[in-house]
Amino acid sequence: MTEHSRDLSRRRLLFGGAAVGAGVLLAGCTSNESDQPSAAQTKGADAAAGGNAAPGERVTIGFSAPAADHGWLAAITTNAKAQAGAYSDVEFKTVEAGADAAAQRAALSTLISQKPDVIVLLPHDGKELNAAGLEAMKAGIPVVNLDRAFPDALAYRLQIKGDNYGMGVAAAHFIIDQLKAKGVSNPIIGEIAGTDSLELTQERSKGFADTLRQNGLTVNNRRPAEFTADSGQQAATSLFQALPKIDAIWNHDDDQGIGVLAAVTQANRKEFFMVGGAGSKKAIEDIQADNTVLKATVTYSPSMASSAISLARLIAQGKGMSDLVELQVPKEIILASETITKENASNYLKLGF
Amino acid sequence: MSDVTDTSTPERPAQLPAQSPPVDPAETAAAEQRGAGRLSWWRGEGGEGARRNLWLIGVLVALIVIGVITRPDLYGDSSWVWSNILVILKLASVVGVVTVGMTFVIIGGGIDLSVGAIVALAGVWATTVATQSYGAGGMIFCALAVGLGVGLVNGVLISYGRLVPFIATLAMLVAARGLAAELSDKQTQVSENTTINGIASTNLLGIPLLVYILAAVVLAGWVLLNRTTFGRRTVAVGGNPEAARLAGIDVKRHTVLLYALSGLCCGIAAIMLTAQATSAQAAMANLYELDAIAAAIIGGTLLSGGRGTIIGSLLGVIIFSTITNLFAINGLTTEAQNMVKGGIIVAAVLVQQVQFRSLTQFLGRNRLTTN
Amino acid sequence: MTEREASPTGGSAEGGSMDAPLLEAPADAVAGEVVLRLTDVVKTFPGVRALDGVQLEVRAGEVHCLLGQNGAGKSTLIKVLSGVHRPDTGQVEWRGEPVSFANPQAAMRAGIATIYQELDLVEDLSVSENAFLGHEPRRLGFVRRGHMARRTRQILGRLGHAEIPPNRMVRALPAAGKQVVSMARALSHEARLIIMDEPSAVLAHDEVGNLFRIIRELTAQGIAVIYISHRLEEIREIGDRVTVLKDGRTTAANLPARDTPTRDLVNRMTGRTIEYVFPERPADATPADADLLEVEGLTRAGEFTDVSLRVRPGEVVGIAGLVGSGRSELLETIYGARRPEAGTVRMAGRVLRPGSVGAAVRAGMGMAPEERKSQALLLGEPVYRNVTLATFARYARAGFTDTGRERAEADRIAESLELRPRDVRRPVRTLSGGNQQKVVVGRWLLGDTKLLLLDEPTRGVDVGARAELYQVIRALAERGVGVLLVSSEVPEVLGLADRVLVMREGRVVREAPAGELDENTVLDLVMAGSLMEGAAA
Repeated sequence: MTEHSRDLSRRRLLFGGAAVGAGVLLAGCTSNESDQPSAAQTKGADAAAGGNAAPGERVTIGFSAPAADHGWLAAITTNAKAQAGAYSDVEFKTVEAGADAAAQRAALSTLISQKPDVIVLLPHDGKELNAAGLEAMKAGIPVVNLDRAFPDALAYRLQIKGDNYGMGVAAAHFIIDQLKAKGVSNPIIGEIAGTDSLELTQERSKGFADTLRQNGLTVNNRRPAEFTADSGQQAATSLFQALPKIDAIWNHDDDQGIGVLAAVTQANRKEFFMVGGAGSKKAIEDIQADNTVLKATVTYSPSMASSAISLARLIAQGKGMSDLVELQVPKEIILASETITKENASNYLKLGF
Repeated sequence: MSDVTDTSTPERPAQLPAQSPPVDPAETAAAEQRGAGRLSWWRGEGGEGARRNLWLIGVLVALIVIGVITRPDLYGDSSWVWSNILVILKLASVVGVVTVGMTFVIIGGGIDLSVGAIVALAGVWATTVATQSYGAGGMIFCALAVGLGVGLVNGVLISYGRLVPFIATLAMLVAARGLAAELSDKQTQVSENTTINGIASTNLLGIPLLVYILAAVVLAGWVLLNRTTFGRRTVAVGGNPEAARLAGIDVKRHTVLLYALSGLCCGIAAIMLTAQATSAQAAMANLYELDAIAAAIIGGTLLSGGRGTIIGSLLGVIIFSTITNLFAINGLTTEAQNMVKGGIIVAAVLVQQVQFRSLTQFLGRNRLTTN
Repeated sequence: MTEREASPTGGSAEGGSMDAPLLEAPADAVAGEVVLRLTDVVKTFPGVRALDGVQLEVRAGEVHCLLGQNGAGKSTLIKVLSGVHRPDTGQVEWRGEPVSFANPQAAMRAGIATIYQELDLVEDLSVSENAFLGHEPRRLGFVRRGHMARRTRQILGRLGHAEIPPNRMVRALPAAGKQVVSMARALSHEARLIIMDEPSAVLAHDEVGNLFRIIRELTAQGIAVIYISHRLEEIREIGDRVTVLKDGRTTAANLPARDTPTRDLVNRMTGRTIEYVFPERPADATPADADLLEVEGLTRAGEFTDVSLRVRPGEVVGIAGLVGSGRSELLETIYGARRPEAGTVRMAGRVLRPGSVGAAVRAGMGMAPEERKSQALLLGEPVYRNVTLATFARYARAGFTDTGRERAEADRIAESLELRPRDVRRPVRTLSGGNQQKVVVGRWLLGDTKLLLLDEPTRGVDVGARAELYQVIRALAERGVGVLLVSSEVPEVLGLADRVLVMREGRVVREAPAGELDENTVLDLVMAGSLMEGAAA
């Protein structure tokens, strides 16, 4: 072996060693374990005053939701799991929904063949999975549809969803009230929307714009983001540049709001206040602390998954909701979009995701 | 002579430049020689890139003029204009850094579809609770190492695994985003590190740190491409891999290095983007690969390799970011904005083709007239 | 141009039949009507006159052979006939009418089919789909599969290959079967003339007989065949008449394929229109230094077998052989661009790592490959960067290139090679072929190249530049550089090299000092091996 090649092989060895070392180091950096217990939005079984929480007939609940690519969806699955765990009489069976509607359909037929007592389902797309709902109902399994409605009323026993249009309405109301209180005339209002191609984004924006218009106001500039923090930061930066002075902003989503708030800091803008959307834990904490421009958020809470599990259990056990006169769970529940402000933040903190 | 000049390319001056070499009358292919004399001005060192960049600067000026016309109120305020320039550069900074790496890969005859995914993976990995416990240094090291590592894997798969770059990096796109989602448990990971977050909010001499980083990466990229053996190899490997191989250049190793460089740029971009968003998540840097490729193409980088400039790519990124800005200040929808971006990409490619066609037409006529 | 008689070099003058006027077929040769007539066809490309006055006459039912060395213009001629290129001047008459095919489809429709060496079949379509590709029998937009299969079976029957199932995937067929499918495609177009470009090159020996049988079937049906091959014995066996091309010109037309003496054919192919001037060899033989390059038992299956050779410093060694004799592959293997299956390459006594160009270059080898544009040059880059492509790293300081020094070095090379134009900042694309070749050779004059491998260094190079290149090669040798040279032009090898190796079918069949060989001997060895076979190996 020549001088040259020995030198080369030593260099390779050194390089290889460095690479392995870096690899080991990096592998140690993948952990996300923190001291805080993971928070889920559940209603404790012991806390209930009525008799519904008491253990009853054993039921199996099947559950399916799309793979989470967003904090909200992740919270849906977490909440459902946690709520099911709170009941000693519930067996919780979850199937991977896969990447698209077709995969979810396939997963659901497996679930149906296992004959659970009730199925809780957050479909990829309500229209595309309508048939799967019908199939389960025909097989005698009640279906609880979460968030994305089936067009066919026969395809579900219970529909429980949030109110996208209502979010826009609630955000607009808060902004109108605040501006009135401050006595601002001709206010400049900005909007940072979510992914523009989604129907829910359009509904939210419509509710917002409709309500503002009824009060003689308009959105001065609207920049869509993509429900991610980095896109929120960029949309907000653009918005600030377009509007040198702003009075109020509604940002559709608290996850992307992390980026929006970062952009606020980076642009050093303080003259306006902001309303968020969805109701993440961090947003609620920020509102409570009252040290950012974020003064309120309008909910679209993933707590609906917990409620869906509770109600699914009642449906399977043939019970009604204890505060209602009816002996059975209603057919449709639309959660009101609530406005979380500094005053009531402490109540909502446990519902933040 | 003059009618040829007029019809083929209006910009070309009518007479030959002074440095045109004397034509040897003994040479049989006199016509070809004459064509070549013109060509040296056309395609000579620097001349071509400068001319192409001039076109891009023209587009940029046009965009700004449109801005002035549509929002005279904003452009009337000089402090706003200055802040707007900085905002445009800041918006361009992350994609700009990614595009520098991409430009190298494309000049080297490849393509890297995984850049957005690498940014996301590096960002997520750098913001896990465990990494954040090592402080800013640990986070930066992590992001750079992840970017470099993923780039190396890309390069090895393409060079030694003989996968087509398109396939290998497409697979990496999917896999890296998957791993990022797994690491982050699909959550948005907030960066608690004030040093990291400060990268996006710090100004030096009134100019954001992010812009300095972009400038540094662009400068380094320019030097690397134009003044080093690495850059020379890149052009050779992309322009004619067989010739490079037969000249003794280790084409495979160089290809690995190109993808590693692209990965490293993604690591830098990941830190910048994480700082901007004060958080990272698996879905971040969405479609950056397309932005970077489009910017490189607008900047005159040949998709088949062998030709391209860093400055052109930078101008491409800045044009995109200026369009975004222009649409934002006019409150127009992003749909329209995307259509305009698409139009500019097509226009850029058409302009390049027209230049080429007029060149060949010119050569063809010249030959006919002398024969 | 006037028909100039080729001057046989050192050969006996038994070529009486050559005195017959060109373009006049011997009365008894073929009876069929003339289907194709080319008159004074000229086709130029930038920097080169590929066809410079071609005459050709093909009759129905004959096998007309085209003979010529590499670069004689055969490929261009085929492309003109098949509609790929259009001639600049001259006339193409097809079945009595002047034609100019706008594209290959037009030629196909007119009844001229071409079967290229690399068969243009779609591997994943069936035999019948390939045969009718682009003109599938249709009804209401639907392909009539049954009808198509029936007609394919019919055609395959005509070709004597009824055993090939029309629905078989082409991928599953052997090379000979694929060739039959290509011919089936030609017949599906009702071709009246089929051009075959070295059809036997892809076939094993026993398959060639079958090919000939098919060709006879075709000609018996009145179809004309233009047959291109390097192998004289095939031409003798299947051909009716021969037209010889040289430097883009017809040097002899319509010679009887069976009776024209080999020597005459060879002379027609090589007969130089211009005598090249080779530099004088130094009077005193090179001192018997230690070997610079030692190649021992080098083998790559299907390319070359058990090749051993030596090159001393200051020696020019030439390899003569046809395309396909394994000579280019041998050169590339020595250079590390291909990995040998057996054997070693030693430079100055040290074994080189097999399959590593880098190792070869570091050991002092340089190569000017056969395909200048695709294998050696960055066409859009300036001359100086092409000259320093292998050495720019040496002029660099800490990884930073020194373009000033590179330009100066390249200038020096341009000066010494008389590069025209001298400006090294000009893109290589704009240079003529000869000057491009100077750039490639010049690349290895920089640095400390000890051995230069030259593969067809003068292909596509004009006359003046050739002489200059020869001077450069000789001057290099005088500086002590070893040169290993491959050329299809026998006179070039004989005129330039000190020692000559003759290769045929992957083996060295003769090695001798250049002075002991003459052109005809070498050509015989290279082509048929009929005369000197016994003397070799």
